[in-house]
Amino acid sequence: MKYFILLIALLSASSLFGADQVQTVDTKVIQLTNAELQRAIAEANLAKKEATFAQIEAMQAKAALAREKADREDEAVKIAEAAEAQAQAEAEAQAEADAEAQDVLKENSTMYISVVGQGVAPMNTTSPAQAYALAKRAAIADAYRAIAEKVKGVRIDGQDLIKNMMVKRSTIRTSVKAMVRNANVVETTFKEGLCEVEMEIVISHSDFPQ
Amino acid sequence: MRSRDGNSNLTFRLSSIILFCSLALNAGEYLISYRYMVKDAILYNETLHISHAMTKCEGKPQSELILENTTDGDLKKLISQNSEEFSNYIHKLGLHIKYKEQTLNLQNTSTTILTLKTTCFKVDFNDNFARIAPLK
Repeated sequence: MKYFILLIALLSASSLFGADQVQTVDTKVIQLTNAELQRAIAEANLAKKEATFAQIEAMQAKAALAREKADREDEAVKIAEAAEAQAQAEAEAQAEADAEAQDVLKENSTMYISVVGQGVAPMNTTSPAQAYALAKRAAIADAYRAIAEKVKGVRIDGQDLIKNMMVKRSTIRTSVKAMVRNANVVETTFKEGLCEVEMEIVISHSDFPQ
Repeated sequence: MRSRDGNSNLTFRLSSIILFCSLALNAGEYLISYRYMVKDAILYNETLHISHAMTKCEGKPQSELILENTTDGDLKKLISQNSEEFSNYIHKLGLHIKYKEQTLNLQNTSTTILTLKTTCFKVDFNDNFARIAPLK
């Protein structure tokens, strides 16, 4: 009986010691788990922060892209506006030119015409003064021709000779016939053998007999 | 002694004055023509013809040109002395323009002819000046 009691006591004592050891092991595990958990939480926080940073960066990039896009759009709009304005100006100029081209000399009205004629001095002149005089005369004739072209028009004839599918001869003939009076020389320039004469004429409806 | 036809002398004088005046007037009318040609932008030739009118011209004097006269009634000399001025005056009166241009196988040639058709001018020579005016 004594031995039995002793054995029980020993077993209980050993069970007590064993329980202590188990409890010790469990604490370590818990500590380890807590540390991992904390590390994981820290990592998660870090990842969260990184994600936040990435999100911020993405937002910033997005904003920059949006700004750039807006700038580009603004630039495109500006370019489009400039192109539109230019096209409008060209259209207006064209319309004015068309209006001028279609301008008709009405009764009791006058029209001002200005032209520039060019003439060249011959090679065998005796003096620069002679060269100037001859070139000026040629330039005046050219200016008269230009006035006649503007007022009365040009007759144009063309002829092409084609043989064996090839152009053998191409001819264009233009001619003007008119009478011009009261044309004035406005300005004369003579440079490097070329004389330019600006001439003007004011024509009125009464100059053309009906 | 005075003749019975006492006014014959006066009639003769008057008729001679009228004849002289009419001859003098005819002598003051000139026919002038002018032409110049420009070929390929170079003056090719220029001609001015002046001659006395053999018959009386009709018309009234138009826009006149006044030149200083130092030539004793010689119109050709007067015009040659004032050629530039006279040329400008003729241009103002009006010139006929004949222009032809040909482009053959992309090579261009052109001819421009400016002409003042033969026109009768009345020329009055005074002591210091000469008046030139076309009759139209």
